[in-house]
Amino acid sequence: MQQFLRRVKQIALPIAISSWLLLLFMMLMRTGGIPLQLSIPNWALLLTQGVFAAAVFMHRRYQPDPLRGTDFVGLLRRLLLGPGLLATICVGLHLVQRLTAAQPSNPVFFTIVYGLNLGLFIVFLAYTCYTWRALVLFRAPQLVHKQWLWFELILGATLLLRLLYIDIPAMLAGIILGGVAAFGVYLSTHQRWVAYLNRRQKFVVIMLQLALLLSLGIFCVYFLRIQFDPLLVAPEPQHAFLMLTVFFAAFYALMGMLVTLFNLPTAGVFEQKREEMLNMQRLTQEIQRGQTEAEIYQTLLDAAVQTLDADAAWLRIDGSPGYLGQLHNIEAEQAESVRALLDSYSITEIDYLNNDLGGSTGFQQLNLPFNSLLMMPLRSQKHLYGALFLFREPRQGFERENLSVLQTFVSQTMLSVENLQLTQAAIQNERYKEELKLASSVQDSLIPKTLPTDNWFEISSHAQAAREVGGDFYDFLHLPGRRLAILIGDVSGKGVTAAFHMAQMKGIFHALMQENPLAKDDKDRFPLPSKFMAMANRALVHCLEASSFITASLYIVDYENGGFVFARAGHCHTLYYHSLKEEVSYFRSTGLGLGIIRTDGYEKHIKNQFYDYNPGDVMVIYTDGIVEARDGNKEEYGEERLLAMLEKTYYLEADQIKQAILDDLNEFSYGQPIHDDQTLLVIKFKTSQPTSPA
Amino acid sequence: MKITQTPSDTTLTLVLDGELDASSSVLLDTELSNPAVLKYQKVLIDCQRLNYISSAGLGVFISHLQRFQDANVKLVFFNMQEKVHNVFEILGLDSLMTIVPSETEAAAL
Repeated sequence: MQQFLRRVKQIALPIAISSWLLLLFMMLMRTGGIPLQLSIPNWALLLTQGVFAAAVFMHRRYQPDPLRGTDFVGLLRRLLLGPGLLATICVGLHLVQRLTAAQPSNPVFFTIVYGLNLGLFIVFLAYTCYTWRALVLFRAPQLVHKQWLWFELILGATLLLRLLYIDIPAMLAGIILGGVAAFGVYLSTHQRWVAYLNRRQKFVVIMLQLALLLSLGIFCVYFLRIQFDPLLVAPEPQHAFLMLTVFFAAFYALMGMLVTLFNLPTAGVFEQKREEMLNMQRLTQEIQRGQTEAEIYQTLLDAAVQTLDADAAWLRIDGSPGYLGQLHNIEAEQAESVRALLDSYSITEIDYLNNDLGGSTGFQQLNLPFNSLLMMPLRSQKHLYGALFLFREPRQGFERENLSVLQTFVSQTMLSVENLQLTQAAIQNERYKEELKLASSVQDSLIPKTLPTDNWFEISSHAQAAREVGGDFYDFLHLPGRRLAILIGDVSGKGVTAAFHMAQMKGIFHALMQENPLAKDDKDRFPLPSKFMAMANRALVHCLEASSFITASLYIVDYENGGFVFARAGHCHTLYYHSLKEEVSYFRSTGLGLGIIRTDGYEKHIKNQFYDYNPGDVMVIYTDGIVEARDGNKEEYGEERLLAMLEKTYYLEADQIKQAILDDLNEFSYGQPIHDDQTLLVIKFKTSQPTSPA
Repeated sequence: MKITQTPSDTTLTLVLDGELDASSSVLLDTELSNPAVLKYQKVLIDCQRLNYISSAGLGVFISHLQRFQDANVKLVFFNMQEKVHNVFEILGLDSLMTIVPSETEAAAL
């Protein structure tokens, strides 16, 4: 089938041309224009005529849709100025000639003109019918497409009526023709396209349809006149088919013209609605493109002014003092005076429409050049952003319906503004998060990743911040002579401030634990822990705010001599397992936190403690996040539980001891949020394997 | 956290009730920052119902310590619970601040 149709498409034009030439040839033979004595039967002429009409219609049928987008005026103009004008001029000239010439013309010439006119008329009809098809099927449902196909088939069938010489009673023929004509009338009601024309286009379309009807009329007059001409050698053309197509073509044109004509009075309203729709669409698009609130508000103002045809407008935007918003054709003082007046009427949060400003005394005094005012607050569910004022010079300038259009505009705008604000807040939030992440990774880099290792001891560590950044810290520093400095501390408070102080403390640690090249005694080359704390206190006084303080403990382990010295500056007590005594206890030394005393006298409050360790001794260093962790009953983990844990685990490896303590702690505080940073260091001194120092 | 003031001629007694954490320490700071506080000879802090003190709470006392000393106002804590006392002690504040067992002793100072 597909292939057959494609063939038809290809051969339709050659068949049309050749059948027309054949028809002319046969007619000329009849008139004696061609000296060939052959009697041409009527049926041959009719068949050729029918083939010609069918081929022309088929050719048009398979041409691409002549309608481009919604250019209906262009479509009609092309139809009229193309085949329409050509055919009409030919027929018209012939009519003029016949009306003016007294003598009947030469039969050969007459036949040629008749042949030409018949051909042109059929071509013109084919063009018209398929132009109407484009209009009938314009955005039509599938059902109409099917109906159109049936219409074509029935028209095709009427072509055959004459060919087959089927003799039907006049009544039946009348009914059939009337039925097909009614079908055409029904199809002519599909004038959907008219709604897409604007006022000016509607005028043009009416003119074009008139011209089209005129040319169809000229054809009809011609064929009616020629019907009885003695010179006519051809049998009557395919009357049923031609009549029906002419009827349909004319009726559709007439119907379209009438529909357009009756649409003219409402064209203005239509256009306004269309304008509103387009504005709405534009507003939605523009608003989505709007990068700033100012851009969005400008779009609203433009759309409102254009849609409601306002002479002046003011978009009041509250929030920034001294900023009035956007003004259009109105002075700032005038706008302010209107607002002040409305305020005095306490009209601020409701829609307000006044179509007769001259009639109210308040507005009379303002002496405005406008007589209509429409005010609408810009409001979201929880916030009043400002108001939109529209002015028109004529009285009764705004209608109630305008309010709903404007409301749609305004709510769309407010939605966009709030969306924009939300997006901006989200971006800001994201940025803070990103920065906090950065701070967190910076802080993480301050915590030593590799723990010191030596065969004299083993260290295991754990650190967990309550938030992204915390105030706990610990650090190690190898000192010459097989000594190791261990610092642990806790900055009061949490978050970024605490993290900064923690970084400061690390800096102080590294700065103060430098070798003093002037020291005479080996002992004095590095500061003792108490000295370190005193110096750190002095350094911190300048940067800690009054209510902040730092607790810290510094241990210097001398594993050459198997001893350590430490000072505790307000930090948690050190938990210790003495392997010789087989006893776990806290070193209960005294010592004041850093940053508490801001005058000189700190030295009095800090003491060094010396201790000689033995292999197997375990030292547990931690921050208060460990002992102050709470369970569901708000009870703290406490020093006693920690001590009991070490009593149970002292014989294990440092790593295992740490893990056992953490497991116990997590079980204790299960389901509770970590409310303070937790740091835990376990140091186990091992059996000495003395190797002589390098 | 509830803070109750009981002023007498020379003494101001503040009764702390509840937990002194980061948010409630702002309240305490407001109370202690009042210039009128420095007119008294003594400021007594009743800690009987103080269940918990965070580092922020300690920070409030620390930040006012110097100011009280300069104005010659004695800051005395009494009736302190064991665990709260332990926090003061660990930080070394017991050597800077006067902490006595009972109100009578606090008043006698």
